[in-house]
Amino acid sequence: MNFDTMFSTMMPGMLRSFGIFTLTLVGSLPLGMIVALLKKSRFAIVRGFISVYISVIRGTPLMLQLLVWYFGPFYLFRMNIGDWRFPALILGFVVNYAAYFAEIYRGGIESIPVGQYEAAEVLGYSKTQTFMRIILPQVIKRIMPSVTNEIITLVKDTSLAFTLAYSEVFSLAKQISASQTSFTPFVIAGVFYFVANYVVAFIMSRIEKALDYYK
Amino acid sequence: MILEMNNIRKHFDDLEVLKDISFNVDSGEVVSIIGPSGSGKSTLLRCATFLETIDGGEIKYMGKTAAHTDDSGKAVYVSHQELHVFRSYCGLVFQQFNLFPHYNVLKNLTDAPMHVQHRSKEEAEATAMELLGKMGIADRAEAYPYQLSGGQQQRVAIARALAMKPEILFFDEPTSALDPELTGEVLKVIRQLAEEKMTMVVVTHEMPFAKAVSNRVLFMDAGVVVEQGDPHDVFDNPQEERTKQFLRVFER
Repeated sequence: MNFDTMFSTMMPGMLRSFGIFTLTLVGSLPLGMIVALLKKSRFAIVRGFISVYISVIRGTPLMLQLLVWYFGPFYLFRMNIGDWRFPALILGFVVNYAAYFAEIYRGGIESIPVGQYEAAEVLGYSKTQTFMRIILPQVIKRIMPSVTNEIITLVKDTSLAFTLAYSEVFSLAKQISASQTSFTPFVIAGVFYFVANYVVAFIMSRIEKALDYYK
Repeated sequence: MILEMNNIRKHFDDLEVLKDISFNVDSGEVVSIIGPSGSGKSTLLRCATFLETIDGGEIKYMGKTAAHTDDSGKAVYVSHQELHVFRSYCGLVFQQFNLFPHYNVLKNLTDAPMHVQHRSKEEAEATAMELLGKMGIADRAEAYPYQLSGGQQQRVAIARALAMKPEILFFDEPTSALDPELTGEVLKVIRQLAEEKMTMVVVTHEMPFAKAVSNRVLFMDAGVVVEQGDPHDVFDNPQEERTKQFLRVFER
């Protein structure tokens, strides 16, 4: 197998890696915000549940969580879902990254001075208006560096889909390398991750610059 | 009577911060509140502007009751929607300005009028530019707060409060975070507002200013109003010992 063939064989894998990446962000960025807001609930039982969720999810390997999502329904609940591989994969990723984003949002929200809330209150803004117009825009700017870190980690974490035998780029690299006894597929995979992260870093840097219109 | 605060009591956990405060503000009056730190001056202002809830007493704006004490001794407030109307009567200028850093000056002034009072963009901008002109900073309308000096930021904060067309404007130590040079420009604005008969309550440490601009001075200490009256009486001829003691510090 020459280089071109290896590369074109690995292309579907790259697309699948990109798919996991995109779906995870689309799911975990909003879910993380919901979790962060639930953590401030008036009901102790909700706060307790969210704390446990964040603690367990951040305290165990994502690889292990993917296995739990995949095998859990059958072995724990005797449910046979059919084509469960991809949903389990995405649920695992989204639930995992939501926990990290929730804590990033919480840190950002708590770093906003109470004076902002008080000024908004006296001016007559509702709680929702205060959050959407005054607090959230400032939070977004503050959390950008942390969010960038998480996104870069996500690019690389997509390789964990290997655990569920999902043929993203790393799995394919491993397969082709074994069958062709060549190291080249790993080089291709490595370059793919590096270029992907370079693009991410570039985009995030542009976003941070755009938000730099005020200090 | 724009504002009536009757027999206000407020405690934080075990600490009684306001012990039985009563004072009124009539239309066009400028009332200064002076006193040592911890006397409850800021808390009184925060209760008047509904940032804090009172534990006892009565708050009335324009003759309408916003909060009163029921028979069991608990303070009862009107509903959320009604409170919204009361909030529109008062504006508050903070010691730390609390401008919205992600909005430029113009947006800081127009956002609340547009989205809370539902005024049109044209009306809000016209009001804003007029106020900025009065404050002497019309040329800074497109600037962001971080680009302004402290004195400019506080003037924007005053304009932001005025843009909501309140009946009464409260100032919580408006110049305490400013150096002496910048303090002057803010005091000038407040003096101008006083001349225009804007009803105001100013908590301040600037004694000469309080004496020159107010119609009435309240001296507070440890949660009570120790003495109140005409500025010349309170400053030049204090009756109470605590007042004399406090004012002595400023004679140095």
